[in-house]
Amino acid sequence: MVAVHFLILVLLLLAVPAIIGGLFGHMEKYGGNLIFRWISGQFLLWAGFQLICVPLILRQQSFTFLTELFGGYTAVLTLLALALEVKRRRKAGTLVFRMAGGAAGQKPGESAVLWALFGALLLFQLVQAVRLAYADTDDAYYVAVASVAENSDTMYQVLPYTGGIGGTELDSRHGLAPFPIWIAFLAKVSGVRTVTVAQVALPVVLIAMTYGIYYLFARELFPERRGQQALFLIFTEILVLFGNYSIYTVENFMIARSRQGKAALGNIVIPFLLLLLLLLLHKLQEKERISVLLYLLFGIVMMTGCLCSTLGVLLMCMAVGVAGVLGAICYRRPWILPPLALTCMPCVVYAALYLFLDF
Amino acid sequence: MWSDVAALFREYMGTGLIVIWYILCLIYLWMNEKRKHLRILFLYMPVILLLLYFNPVFYRLVYAVVEREIYYRILWLLPMTVVIAYTCICIYGRMAGSGERRAKAFALCAAGVIMVSGSFVYSSPFFSRAENIYHVPDTVVDICDAINVPGREVMAAFPLELVQYVRQYSPVTCMPYGRETTVDRWNYYHPLRDEMEAEVIEMEKLVPLSREYHCHYVIFRPGTKVRGKPEDYGWVRFGEVDGYTIYRDMEVELIIPDLG
Repeated sequence: MVAVHFLILVLLLLAVPAIIGGLFGHMEKYGGNLIFRWISGQFLLWAGFQLICVPLILRQQSFTFLTELFGGYTAVLTLLALALEVKRRRKAGTLVFRMAGGAAGQKPGESAVLWALFGALLLFQLVQAVRLAYADTDDAYYVAVASVAENSDTMYQVLPYTGGIGGTELDSRHGLAPFPIWIAFLAKVSGVRTVTVAQVALPVVLIAMTYGIYYLFARELFPERRGQQALFLIFTEILVLFGNYSIYTVENFMIARSRQGKAALGNIVIPFLLLLLLLLLHKLQEKERISVLLYLLFGIVMMTGCLCSTLGVLLMCMAVGVAGVLGAICYRRPWILPPLALTCMPCVVYAALYLFLDF
Repeated sequence: MWSDVAALFREYMGTGLIVIWYILCLIYLWMNEKRKHLRILFLYMPVILLLLYFNPVFYRLVYAVVEREIYYRILWLLPMTVVIAYTCICIYGRMAGSGERRAKAFALCAAGVIMVSGSFVYSSPFFSRAENIYHVPDTVVDICDAINVPGREVMAAFPLELVQYVRQYSPVTCMPYGRETTVDRWNYYHPLRDEMEAEVIEMEKLVPLSREYHCHYVIFRPGTKVRGKPEDYGWVRFGEVDGYTIYRDMEVELIIPDLG
């Protein structure tokens, strides 16, 4: 029975996002890449979760209602992506997922050794995520919020530190970034205990996802050079593994506190946003047309930033604002600014809500 | 305020070595990177973000709306990992053109330098071998399971070293004080917590306080010195887990719901 619960969790965290990512199958260069599909699919789910969850929290609706709504959203997206995939498959005659790009520019044997080393280091980190526990007092808030939501069928209405004492006032400020409620959703649907989802399953998946993003960076930075891609990834692993020079680094957050929304912001959302900015700037460089799908993905990532942390609102807008203005000036393409500004709208709305609720 | 921002930056740098490598990488890219889109993302953008970070107008604005202690997270926008790894591979690729061996030696040296400059993430004292699939101490799991009453919440006062785990594992176990009382800088005062953490617990003081907060259970850590006999105050020794003693206060009503 436990195996079935974990299987559902695997489906929710790996298979479903990978299927939904098929909606971005038309994105040139990356559309057929399974890792890109998995990550972009998960972002689409996160963005939808934020959009559905925050109004329900503010209206003090039940957690069950949220589960039903978000479950419906997930099901609709999955069916839509499957239908599109079938249609695409019929048109193309076959379905090809690519895990990696071309293999030119390196000796094949050497490249395989480097990829094996990268795989071994990744496996080591994933095993450590299961084997080791990290005592972080912030979990007393974030994990407890998730546990309480699932147990009490309320969201941000019970004090997570203590429970009964303190009453049932809505913590609307934290409720604007309801990443813990997503954890509770996974726990409820899969049947795995919330604390296990948060402390064991999520670190494994989110650490793997971070390296998935670094892999996409490697492909973008070293196209057609598989060996250098692997070496780049090994260097990122070394930098992460030896990133404990301060407790504030994203690397530290990634390994030690990956179940917290702020860690997901620093290690998944911001790197993915930087990757999208790299794609955007590359297109400007090549004087290519920027697709609506890329802008849409920007909006989705911005929305996910709001889900992870209230500070995400500021960080995401800063990154897009600075890179957008630089791109517009350096390439003399000011018309990229209005659509980029539009993608920042979710952040602006949540910032306004935050200020309204805080003061 | 400036000193706050500078102190946060210093703390973020840690020993500062990795940041020095990052700056050297930026200088290398400044001189050698020809692709404009990479220069924008890896060079110009981080420089502007750093100027913003140290800009008095900007940090005053940010400080007005967010907690000061999280201002350092703006530094998360600097793609340090990607830039250092990318620069190393660029130098490796350049060296590989003139000699494969030299390039490999460089890659090994660069990896070694990063390892020596940083600190191994699993060497943190906060890591420990997980005792179970919940990643909370077995003691907490066993105590919560022992005092749990199906169908209702219970109120229990725990020693401070356990409070951060209790409600992660068991949301039906309520506490009169929680993690907020463990953070010194928050200056959170709680009379029951102070009595529970006293060197010698006075039952005469503890009992009225625990009843005021409707505690069904009180847990003492191993070796707790108590003045007065708990049994004299209507408390019953409920059990013991890893040396922690669980007392049930029979004066605080605990109605067991009929789940049938």
